[in-house]
Amino acid sequence: MLSIRDLHKSFHRAEVLRGVDLDVAKGDVVAIIGPSGAGKTTLLRCVNFLERADRGEMHFDGLHLDMHKASGKDVLAIRKRTAFVFQNYNLFNNKTALENVTEGLIIGRGMPARDAEDAARRALDKVGLSNRLDYYPSKLSGGQQQRVGIARAIAVDPDVILFDEPTSALDPELIGEVLGIMRQLAREGTTMVVVTHELAFASDVANRIVFMDEGLVVESGPPDRVLHSPAEERTRQFLRRILPAGATLG
Amino acid sequence: MGLDLDYLARTFLLSLRGLPVTLGICASTLLVSLPLGFALAIIGIYRVRVLRKLASVYISFARGTPVVLQILVVYSVLPSLANALAIRAGWDVDVFAMNPLWYAVVVFSFNTTAVLSEIIRSAILTVDRGQYEAALSSGMTGRQAYRRIILPQALLVALPNLANATINLIKGTSLAFLMAVRDVTAIAKIEAARGYEYVESYLAVFMIYLLVCGATQALFTLVERRLGIYRAPVVAF
Repeated sequence: MLSIRDLHKSFHRAEVLRGVDLDVAKGDVVAIIGPSGAGKTTLLRCVNFLERADRGEMHFDGLHLDMHKASGKDVLAIRKRTAFVFQNYNLFNNKTALENVTEGLIIGRGMPARDAEDAARRALDKVGLSNRLDYYPSKLSGGQQQRVGIARAIAVDPDVILFDEPTSALDPELIGEVLGIMRQLAREGTTMVVVTHELAFASDVANRIVFMDEGLVVESGPPDRVLHSPAEERTRQFLRRILPAGATLG
Repeated sequence: MGLDLDYLARTFLLSLRGLPVTLGICASTLLVSLPLGFALAIIGIYRVRVLRKLASVYISFARGTPVVLQILVVYSVLPSLANALAIRAGWDVDVFAMNPLWYAVVVFSFNTTAVLSEIIRSAILTVDRGQYEAALSSGMTGRQAYRRIILPQALLVALPNLANATINLIKGTSLAFLMAVRDVTAIAKIEAARGYEYVESYLAVFMIYLLVCGATQALFTLVERRLGIYRAPVVAF
């Protein structure tokens, strides 16, 4: 459904992505892992055109576009069919939880207000926040804010949801509630691309792991293979560093 | 020597008649300066190539020269310039008969635009970019994101400074008497000179400005409280 070919991106002459390919099929849960600075977040941001790629091709359902030259219209079309969940939640501070969800539906997609509100209520109910509809972000905990962020993403019924380290900014005791919801979404067949440091989560939720390092995809495949018998030395090194000695995954 | 309270009261009431002029200049100035200041702020934030340089030169000039001087220059140069232009273009207008109010609005707008552009620019920059990105990724256009997400929050941040700028403007318009505008100050000055009762006249204008500025401040505070419901309560530390 989504495929990226030969994606390049530099910031001030530092090449962050050096020819990345990515394929996501409908219903896939793809976890992107790798050391910081590998380009994982930049990859995700390029997919949603929050960064403009220097080079690269994108196939998205029927659409085929040059990621460097894509027109504003194409960008908008892609954004309307995808959703993004940010590391820092990025909720609209001047809107209530409910409005955070309806905003994109009403303004971005032109949905009638009443339908948007119904969709928003359903989405917030799903993330367990139906009792916080009228709360402003400043009154919500980090975990709750991120759940609103996820509700905002699922309410638009996107073809794919892009998660950028959704639990990295959370206190440890709040991570569980967010991962729980993501597990639930995965079970329901939501297509997701997740940049994450939660290897345990990646291991039992993702059906494919992509390991990136220094702007390239080093290897990718089913969790069993990538996490337990990686083919590449760099993957092994990374896993050794990140897992405590003797620990194994699920 | 005692105060002539009767005279004070009379001057107070008389000077009040200048209030519509004072407030009119302020309102027109804000009407001109807010959109212009906003445009300059956007030019600054997005580093629009040539315009940005011009804008920063203008801002330095407007903020780096005394208002009195700007008034004198505009009031002596602008009419002659406009007159020459009118003659050249063959317009049938008597520039020198033009209401000096217009000159006042020009000078104060020139000044206030620079001040507002800096206030607006810094206020927009306080709203973190993440919210803008979130708006884009939820399918809004840049313009929609600005209108619905960024600007409402920036406005709230800017309010205390906007209140300050407005109050400065109200006080600043007292210099309009230099352009033969009959505002609050001008009327009081004329009265003072007529009766040689300077203290009473000046006390009267003091009171008027104090009341107007106090009311303005109160209004801004009210608006800020109203718009700020989404903010976390400020905890004293």
